[in-house]
Amino acid sequence: MEQRATRADILAAIQEIPLLSPSASRLLQIASREDYDIDEIIEVVKCDSALTARLLKTVNSVAYGLVHQVTSIDRAVSYLGERLVAGIALEDSAKALFNKELKGYEGPAGELWEHDLRTAVAAREITRHCTTDLSKDLAFTAGILHAIGKAVLSDFLHSSATELLAEIDSHDINDYLEGERNILGMDHTEAGFELAKAWELPESLQMAIRYHHTPQQAPEQYRPLVYAVHLGCIIAMMSGSHSSDALQYHLDKHYTDYFNITNEHIAMALLEVNESVGVIQAALSEGRELSE
Amino acid sequence: MGNIILGVGELGATNNSADCVKTFALGSCVAVILMCPKTHTVGMVHVALPESKINPDKVKTRPGYFADTGISALLKKMTTFGCDPSGRGFIVKLAGGARIMDPNNTFNIGKRNALAVKKTLWKYSLGAVAEDLGETYSRTVTVSVATGETLITSPGRKDWKI
Repeated sequence: MEQRATRADILAAIQEIPLLSPSASRLLQIASREDYDIDEIIEVVKCDSALTARLLKTVNSVAYGLVHQVTSIDRAVSYLGERLVAGIALEDSAKALFNKELKGYEGPAGELWEHDLRTAVAAREITRHCTTDLSKDLAFTAGILHAIGKAVLSDFLHSSATELLAEIDSHDINDYLEGERNILGMDHTEAGFELAKAWELPESLQMAIRYHHTPQQAPEQYRPLVYAVHLGCIIAMMSGSHSSDALQYHLDKHYTDYFNITNEHIAMALLEVNESVGVIQAALSEGRELSE
Repeated sequence: MGNIILGVGELGATNNSADCVKTFALGSCVAVILMCPKTHTVGMVHVALPESKINPDKVKTRPGYFADTGISALLKKMTTFGCDPSGRGFIVKLAGGARIMDPNNTFNIGKRNALAVKKTLWKYSLGAVAEDLGETYSRTVTVSVATGETLITSPGRKDWKI
């Protein structure tokens, strides 16, 4: 029988993952602050010619259908929004992770990025119903990053999906996280958290990654954000997912401490996810092809 | 053999026996499959939400998005293949309507989708001969026009038929 990886193997693998580009790292730092200025974002982009080209190609893509071509990076950033700019920089910087085939979850290449994008859009929508102040840009960025640990664990979860699902169906284990921990001594939220620390991501993003399936365990000051990502991830799974862990997690009912959400709001968020993700994906894909 | 692939809110029909009608990764969405034995036509609509009143404008561009408008739009589409617009004699199958793990059934859009689909079908005196609804897994549905066989696949699970 094949020897399964240990926790130490996974931690070692995380240390081997390349760091984010300086631009992506800086954009995430800026976007995680509440008081940032859009000019700070523009300055970072201007210093990165490849990112500048990618943003201009994306904003001028057929998917956005703008009548007049955007030629200045200031206008491109304004149009795309800070959240998407950070997302594009992140995807560019870590595309091998975001777009890899999720063999351990029986998910095709691109599945992780699509789920992350769906979560980001849903989390952004959900911030409308937060009972405290919560940045929609931060929720979007946290949504993009929340499941990055799956890209790490996927390589170690060889042929485990059928076994894990059978255990969940027979109530031997509580959810997919418990299954991951039983096999590897670590679940994907912890793997993602370790990677986020290695990448020196802002603490708010680290917390969203670590606790997106167990938001009640997050430090109090980060809970609105973490619950937004928790709900966003659930809405993303409801909207469709190609991986074996889809819908194999629990809803934390304490979301009502921070959000005032009805079934209609969830339906609206689902609608927004289905509408926006297709447009964003098409624009990014066109921008990517033209940049290469 | 060709595949007619339907995205969210899309509908389609074919009477080409070499075709399959397919939709991917249903979460809370419901695939409504209509088969007309007389014309050997298979139609499918990928319903995302129960009621169109949430966004009436969407109905104009994508009526299949909603249970209350999608089924009538599919029946209309199937008339172009010579099918009875009332759906009389059709075989109906349903799949999807999944939910997150939650004993309180909060946000159970999947269940609401399934109920809204059934309610609309009743208006046409139609009921499903086979269904695979609810539960907590994603479903990809493929219907063979030649055999009417409806195959469901889900990552990490054995395939099954309804």
